[in-house]
Amino acid sequence: MKNPRMILHLAMGVALTATTLGVAAEELLKFDYWPGRENAIPHVSGDEKFSDTYQYWKDEKAIEQAKKAGKKSHEMNFKDFRWAQKSFDAEPALEIGKGYYNQKNANGKSCASCHGENGKKLEGIYANYPSYNKRLKRVVTVGTQIQTCASERLGLDWPETSRENVLTDFYVASLSDGKVIKIDATKPGPIKKSYERGRDLFFKRAGHFDFACASCHTPPTAGSYLRGQRPTTFFGDAASYPIYHFPYALPGDDYEYVFTLQHQIKSCQMLSRMYPGKEGSPAMTDIEVFLKASANGYKMSIPGAEYNMDASYLD
Amino acid sequence: MKLDTKRHYLFVLALAGTLSATAVSAANAEEAPKWVPGEPYPTELLKNYPCHDYELPCGKMNSPPVERVVFKGPLQGDAERGEKIAINLRWGNCIACHVLPNHDGGTIGPSLRQYAARQAPLDYTYQRLWDVRYYNPNAHMPVYGPNKVLTHQDIVDVMTYLYAGK
Ligand code: HEC
Ligand code: HEC
Ligand code: HEC
Repeated sequence: MKNPRMILHLAMGVALTATTLGVAAEELLKFDYWPGRENAIPHVSGDEKFSDTYQYWKDEKAIEQAKKAGKKSHEMNFKDFRWAQKSFDAEPALEIGKGYYNQKNANGKSCASCHGENGKKLEGIYANYPSYNKRLKRVVTVGTQIQTCASERLGLDWPETSRENVLTDFYVASLSDGKVIKIDATKPGPIKKSYERGRDLFFKRAGHFDFACASCHTPPTAGSYLRGQRPTTFFGDAASYPIYHFPYALPGDDYEYVFTLQHQIKSCQMLSRMYPGKEGSPAMTDIEVFLKASANGYKMSIPGAEYNMDASYLD
Repeated sequence: MKLDTKRHYLFVLALAGTLSATAVSAANAEEAPKWVPGEPYPTELLKNYPCHDYELPCGKMNSPPVERVVFKGPLQGDAERGEKIAINLRWGNCIACHVLPNHDGGTIGPSLRQYAARQAPLDYTYQRLWDVRYYNPNAHMPVYGPNKVLTHQDIVDVMTYLYAGK
């Protein structure tokens, strides 16, 4: 008994690559995908094609009204707290990040020497990241950019996984709080390509269970309860990252509980038994581009609150 | 217990397995970590399944082929062991998605509390647990059999627990 789907799938991949698409596409098309990939668009309103909840969380006013109408968190894609609420506990972590930003190296130079006091020249930039760095000729996350600036310009070893990097990243992100996210994934170029690769990775089945990211992050699983946890659709989530994740940190790490989007992706890979990617790697950066562009049109909300301390939503 | 397992795709897999087993040196096999069900899954072993990377071989891997299996019973497993497997989040972890006999659980899959009363054919349940894609390619349930999350005996025990209904 042969499986008709798999055969159809493979045959389609071959036909498409042979005719319309180039060599790069061949690599992507051969995988087994979770359904829905073709419905993804790089804008937060794309959620309408996945869940019927977008109307309840598309902005602050919609959330207020939805709450008044008695909607529960999962009907607001959990944006009522993960996006709409600010975390007050995060202030100390932001202060530490600011400290790193101003920390002088042996030559008396700091990030502030080039990017201005209080991060003046970095205001708003987080809403446009990941971005293509012409000099490095690759798409970079802010974490990768900080690592590069630290090592090339200040002689500091701040790898993307270091405490210094993560907390500085968090501080830089806070300078874009309220800024509307805009990742141009429609204009032909490296960002569009990165978005498409990231989307395909998100829908590709992987790991021991053969799940895709999309298996949990599209309905019906998104919006239901996975042992008390609350998976969302992938739209708008990136607006709250880096997020203050108390009381959880990644095993073995101490970032004062700050989760960058790279950490979140890795944490989900570990949770679903996929071989975890390396922070800032090309594939992980592509996934971040996909997630961030799926928040296009939504305002950055830093520092956001990861947890809803009101547990009544579990009822 | 009689098990009649037709494994069309598995035939190919088994062959490939033999080939690679001879190709890999014996020393390598000894060093490789083993997963003990119920314990955390060793990260190194995850490289044997498709992953998100452009350099590693796992980045180029595909899902395992769908496996059609046939199970005619009788069902005489160990219900107690089956229950353990079903509720252990590092083993069967059915509880993440299903309400189970005696246990509350997730709501992603249908409740299995009354599953015994349904008297579903053994073959249907076995196939669902071994490789759900045969019935529904997009069911959000782990591919337990082909990826060796659960063994034949594990599945029989879990089924015995479900069919006992208590
Ligand atoms: C000697 C000057 C210099 C120092 C010091 C420096 N940078 Fe940069 N930074 C640059 C330049 C130049 C760029 C433009 C991109 C490139 O060439 O990599 C840049 C780009 C950036 C960007 C992206 C800005 C944008 O508009 O897209 C960020 C974020 C950033 N740096 C953060 C930092 C942080 C954090 C530090 C401290 C660890 C730091 N930089 C130290 C010169 C500097
Ligand atoms: C087995 C199910 C599962 C899979 C597979 C999965 N996730 Fe998640 N993910 C979750 C859950 C559950 C949460 C929310 C955790 C919580 O409640 O704190 C989450 C949270 C997230 C968030 C933050 C959402 C928010 O509300 O801010 C992002 C982003 C994310 N996952 C991305 C991914 C990516 C990328 C992948 C693939 C590498 C992935 N996930 C795979 C279950 C999953
Ligand atoms: C990640 C979530 C998930 C996990 C873990 C999971 N299941 Fe499921 N299961 C589902 C979903 C979703 C369905 C419904 C699939 C469909 O509609 O085709 C299902 C369907 C079933 C069915 C068929 C029910 C019926 O009414 O026909 C059985 C039996 C079953 N699961 C047993 C199990 C057992 C036993 C385990 C543990 C070894 C398990 N499942 C683990 C999600 C899961």
